[in-house]
Amino acid sequence: MGSFLHYLSMPYLLDGILITLQATALGFFGGFALGLLLAGMALSRNRVVSGVARTYSVIFRGTPLVLQLVFVFTALPHAGIVLSPIMAAGVALAANEATFFAEIFRSAVIGVDKGQTDAARAVGLRPGTVLRRIVGPQAARAAIPAIGSEAVSTMKNSALASIIAVPELTLRSNQLASATFDYFSIFFASGVMYLVLTGAITGLQLAIERTFDLSRVGKRGRGRPSEASTAPVEGTAPAAEPVTAARVNGAQVASAVSRAEAVRRARVALTITGVHKAFAEHEVLRGIDMEIRKGEVVALLGPSGSGKSTLLRLINHLETLDAGTISFDGIEVGYRDGGTALPEREVARQRVQAGVGMVFQHFNLFGHLTARENVAVPLRWVHRVPKDEALAEADRLLGRVGLSARAHALPRQLSGGQQQRVGIARALAGRPQVLLLDEPTSALDPELVQEVLEVVRSLALDEGLTMLIATHQLGFAREVADRVVFMAEGRVLEQGSPQQVLDNPQHPTAVRFLRAVHTVEV
Amino acid sequence: MLNRLLRPAALLAAAGAITLLASACGGSSPASSTSSAPAYPALASSPACTQLRSQNPNLAGKTLTNAINPHTPGYESISVSDPTKYEGFDVDLSEALGECLGFTVSYLPVAFDALLPTLQSGQANFIISDIYATKDRAASADFITYSKVFDGVLVAAGNPKKITGIDDSLCGTTTALNKGFVEVPLVDAQNTKCGSEGKPPAQTALFDNNADCVQAILSGRADAYINDVNTVNRFVKDQSGKLANASTLHLPYSIGIGVPKGQLPIRNAFTAALTQIQTSGLQTQLAQKWQLDKSAIQAPSLVTAS
Repeated sequence: MGSFLHYLSMPYLLDGILITLQATALGFFGGFALGLLLAGMALSRNRVVSGVARTYSVIFRGTPLVLQLVFVFTALPHAGIVLSPIMAAGVALAANEATFFAEIFRSAVIGVDKGQTDAARAVGLRPGTVLRRIVGPQAARAAIPAIGSEAVSTMKNSALASIIAVPELTLRSNQLASATFDYFSIFFASGVMYLVLTGAITGLQLAIERTFDLSRVGKRGRGRPSEASTAPVEGTAPAAEPVTAARVNGAQVASAVSRAEAVRRARVALTITGVHKAFAEHEVLRGIDMEIRKGEVVALLGPSGSGKSTLLRLINHLETLDAGTISFDGIEVGYRDGGTALPEREVARQRVQAGVGMVFQHFNLFGHLTARENVAVPLRWVHRVPKDEALAEADRLLGRVGLSARAHALPRQLSGGQQQRVGIARALAGRPQVLLLDEPTSALDPELVQEVLEVVRSLALDEGLTMLIATHQLGFAREVADRVVFMAEGRVLEQGSPQQVLDNPQHPTAVRFLRAVHTVEV
Repeated sequence: MLNRLLRPAALLAAAGAITLLASACGGSSPASSTSSAPAYPALASSPACTQLRSQNPNLAGKTLTNAINPHTPGYESISVSDPTKYEGFDVDLSEALGECLGFTVSYLPVAFDALLPTLQSGQANFIISDIYATKDRAASADFITYSKVFDGVLVAAGNPKKITGIDDSLCGTTTALNKGFVEVPLVDAQNTKCGSEGKPPAQTALFDNNADCVQAILSGRADAYINDVNTVNRFVKDQSGKLANASTLHLPYSIGIGVPKGQLPIRNAFTAALTQIQTSGLQTQLAQKWQLDKSAIQAPSLVTAS
């Protein structure tokens, strides 16, 4: 026991800790940086670049660290590269750890919901901004535990540097044991030292995890006491201000004629010509032609798999066209005049220029941002509005969808209907000319459908926004749409006023579909 | 948001940088002997050494690195009283060579089987680490011999397996050896002999240093450990009652100083300086100082591949 304590406080071994920390720091930070690079390369669409990263991983993850240490220390000098023992250890550790860091980063990035990337692109964020503002922060959070574990692993691996003359803790313990024959006391002492060091790393990891724990972020700092969670929703939500069907229908009948006339006279906002799209062998769209006028509300109806969602995703270039053109007042999002594809940063600029916004079936809110931060995203990072102004505008828009009280809640703390209303407010923040809504109520429980439809209805009737809505809600389509388009198997089978298509369908498929939906609704 | 994440990362990076700086400035690299006063003034001022220094201006004033495997107390190990220093017969011998030729010695501690690769890579300038000069090893370095080889056979007290040397008594036993030691092929050859005689195998268990080999005997994992007899005797003295030397063997080798292959200036200078150290009686004094009772001085001769 006495000699154990003697070794525990021996300056020779304590100095060894410093060298161990030095080797660990070189391996950790070098591996971290190189791992970031490798992960970026592995995720690249360029097959040569990702192939280089994969080859590197195969070699450095597939060979023992001991061999890599010896290689850097004794083989590289033959090529004229002479590194000091500590630098050789740092290089070998970093080269080895990088492969593990790369996989940690890659899986963290892949783990971020693809829908959020779609939503970020749809509001007009450039690829770099998507990475920095949306994917990066969430991936970083997800990676913290694995990074902490990798730091501990790096420290333990640094003990192997003892074989290439790095005078770190293990080498010193070995030498001391050889000189004193006091084998066990020395190794117990150095074991305790390693435990203290790795324990400190674990403590640091847990502290960082706690700092960035989203559930804490929601409650503290950015959150407010959530008395609002049980309070009735305000504004346009049905609970606060029930709108009777009779009143809406009455108003609609009175204005229907003049509205139809106005739409007919408006200029064309969106032209779709000869659009084809296939995924692998499966043809999803087989020649779609459509003109949508400014201020027109078009409801896309049709069975699942008819191509409604794909058409919407093609319109703002979340998918690429196989054939045909889609033009917003002359702007073909995603393509040059000659028809060649543009890089994603240019596409982002075009989406903003064309003024196209999108609301998704599964909301696709940014999980790490509060409701108001979600809504402020297009303002801050696309339109470069100063943060305070952007948040003030976000608050106004949240008020518009009846969610002022939940402004500081994270998406995970909101109901589906509330999330979709935030999604609509976010789409509106970019001041779109054309709003695409992809089955905005399909993922909602029945009792939450109305609150979302109410918001969309008021946008259509009060704001004069041009809208393309894929939906299964026939009553809603009848009420808000100027035109109903019925699609099946990638073609438009029938289109016309809601009365024409819904009450007097001509195509047998449309007749069958409408009867089936009516049966469900009744 | 990302900035909030990056801030602790920056702190970590700063902490790492401070660690690096601290250890870089702390000068904690061990054991370069920096005694300013010469330990062997008579040797340094001898006409032979004076002449050697003038003939080898490229060595004088330089720092040369000696690759060692400091796990052999008596030959080379860290000093218990000051662990930042190395000590032992080989360390004194390299310091004496340095004083004669005018260079300072720094030490690079590596695994025994890494001694030759380290010399070949240029990370070290020479090896004085109780290494036997064999023809096989001469493929990687030139050797200048300085001592004959006597091995001892370390066994548990009482020699329960009745081991007598590298002979049939090893059949059915396990011998602990350091990786890269010359005894490894000798025991392996004995193993083949055991097999051809229908006897159980003579197994080896390979370790990284002497301390691990001795632990293997103490824990019952190995029956014998064969190494330089002075080293063996030292272990016996230190663990009296638990260990014994079963036998002393003369091996047909010499202990040598390893220098890079074909580099005649350093090889000739070392040979001449070693001759001076032997003729002046200094090597005998050093052997006595480190209680190398079986040290049989051997006049310098070359062991090379050709």
